[in-house]
Amino acid sequence: MPPLIAIRGLRKTYRMGDENVHALDGVDLDFQKGEFVAILGPSGSGKSTLMHILGFMDTPSEGSIVFDGEEVARLDADRRAWYRAHRVGFVFQAFNLLPRLTIEENVALPLLYRDGTDPAANLAAAHAALERVGMSHRLGHRPGQLSGGERQRVAVARAIVGTPSIIFADEPTGNLDVKNVDRVLELLGSLIKEGITVVLVTHDLSVAEKARRVISMRAGLVQEDRVR
Amino acid sequence: MRLFDRVRPAVINGLRELQANKVRSLLSMSGIILGVASLVAMVTVVQGMVGNFRQFVDAMGGIEKITVVRELLPKEQEHLAELSEGLTMRDVASLRRTVPLVRNISPEARVGYEKIVHDGREFSTYVTGVTADYLPVAKRWVEPDQGRFISDLDVLNMTDVIVLGSAVVPELFPANVDPVGQVVRIRGRRFTVIGVLNNIEGTGMQVRSASSRSSGGSWRWRNSGAFIPVSTALTKYIGNDRLTGLGLRIADPEQLRDAVEQTERTMLAAHKGLRDFSISTNEQTLEDFRKTESAFKLSLGGVAGISLFVGGIGIMNVMLASINERIREIGVRKAVGARGSDLFLQFLAEAAVVSVVGGLLGLLVSVGIVSLMNFILTQALPTGAVAALDWVIMGEGLAFSVVIGLVAGVYPALRAAKLDPIEALRHE
Repeated sequence: MPPLIAIRGLRKTYRMGDENVHALDGVDLDFQKGEFVAILGPSGSGKSTLMHILGFMDTPSEGSIVFDGEEVARLDADRRAWYRAHRVGFVFQAFNLLPRLTIEENVALPLLYRDGTDPAANLAAAHAALERVGMSHRLGHRPGQLSGGERQRVAVARAIVGTPSIIFADEPTGNLDVKNVDRVLELLGSLIKEGITVVLVTHDLSVAEKARRVISMRAGLVQEDRVR
Repeated sequence: MRLFDRVRPAVINGLRELQANKVRSLLSMSGIILGVASLVAMVTVVQGMVGNFRQFVDAMGGIEKITVVRELLPKEQEHLAELSEGLTMRDVASLRRTVPLVRNISPEARVGYEKIVHDGREFSTYVTGVTADYLPVAKRWVEPDQGRFISDLDVLNMTDVIVLGSAVVPELFPANVDPVGQVVRIRGRRFTVIGVLNNIEGTGMQVRSASSRSSGGSWRWRNSGAFIPVSTALTKYIGNDRLTGLGLRIADPEQLRDAVEQTERTMLAAHKGLRDFSISTNEQTLEDFRKTESAFKLSLGGVAGISLFVGGIGIMNVMLASINERIREIGVRKAVGARGSDLFLQFLAEAAVVSVVGGLLGLLVSVGIVSLMNFILTQALPTGAVAALDWVIMGEGLAFSVVIGLVAGVYPALRAAKLDPIEALRHE
């Protein structure tokens, strides 16, 4: 089976003053469908840059990315937005729920940016996603009324509402207490059963080890790629 | 349809933002509110004044009226004073013969400010001798159930008949008495009342209620007065054949200049070259007024324009501040799939919502201002320059505010659209 994502020779170079900084310095990786992967590395290792590029938030300077059989390394901004709306989900360390929207509206937000969607259907999908993460009892609440663990579960619901192919979780447990860390990681890990590829981006080894495969990065290069 | 699908949530979102930041939104709207309010109120009041003045000019006989009055001879003709005969009925005859552009000629001989007596009641008003032509020249009439006006026959026979202004009637007769057919006395002479002139009320400017009409409306001066045949006035009161003035009504206002010139020539010829008269029209008054009107419109438009401009800057400012506060939100929206154009639309709609709501509030304020101005003007002015709000003006004011809001929203919305999602998400 071909990988969901195949990247070859990926480079990202920033210009900082007079110097070129190589955030990614030639990365080759494959991600399989339904895989639970952790990208581990200290800050500045290039793991966030990799996540941004794979999450269609940024473009590489060089190299190729084949996503589900299509070359996507040189897409324009609107096309990348399409991929974010349809194929990718994000879970952030700071939850990033919109405080003015209710829980269900927050979860339905990604569907708002798809063409020809109908608000009632969007809310129904949001309810289903909230059900999936065990948060369907808080539909009309605002994020401020929820605990950190609950917010992160809502954020996971937002990530899965559009049935994406891949979810990027960027230090998803960084703002959580111990009890909730396990709960959220378990929730993320369970998504692979639905065929979703889950990519955990972290600097915390204990978190990374919840994943079956751990990719260690340093200085823009893959240092180690091991499957337990 | 697709655009509507994108605009609708943007507008709903804008309304929610407005609701969530009531005070800030109100402050950002203040410029628009004041701008729209002043624009609508000022245009309304100016239009009211214009309408009022048109009526005033009309009440003076309109643009088609030429007035000839007796004048002292100019210095260079002073030695010929003995030859001056003043204005007489002979002038009426020669004008009628030689100035075809004139349709009606109304000779007027003022008897004076006279005491009119009836059955123990008395009332003083101006008594003027006129002919049947007074009605078309003064644009007056007698309602069918109010008797008739002075006829040619009355003038020919020097009858002692009188037509009263409508404001005179309640001063002389009890409410249940029909004045027509009654006898009144002026300086002891008996006059039979044959009619009552129509009641002039500033139509379209209902300043006074019906109940206060008799106690003196703004048009009271026009409803006063009493009219007798010009021949009666000249022979029985004035004692010579000199008229006070002539009112001429021309057929076509376009030919006013020609008519004035013809009138002047005829009069000079009839008066053997003596300039013992002057000719005036309402044209100059109207022209002066038009200048004032456009000056008013320009300056008030400028003031309103500046306040709307400032209002636009206010909206832009608040939008920029709001975007700065919501950089993270923009990042999140982009991360979950929003295009630049989605965010552009969202923030443009927010600016539009602010300006529409501001514009509506401005219209509300303008209603208050106009009511207040009406109140003050009716108290202060005898003619009561009163303005009525007009849907068209209000619509224009609102449209103006929407345009301002959209223009002011473009730059902030562009900034939001262009934000880099990664940077935006990192923003604290």
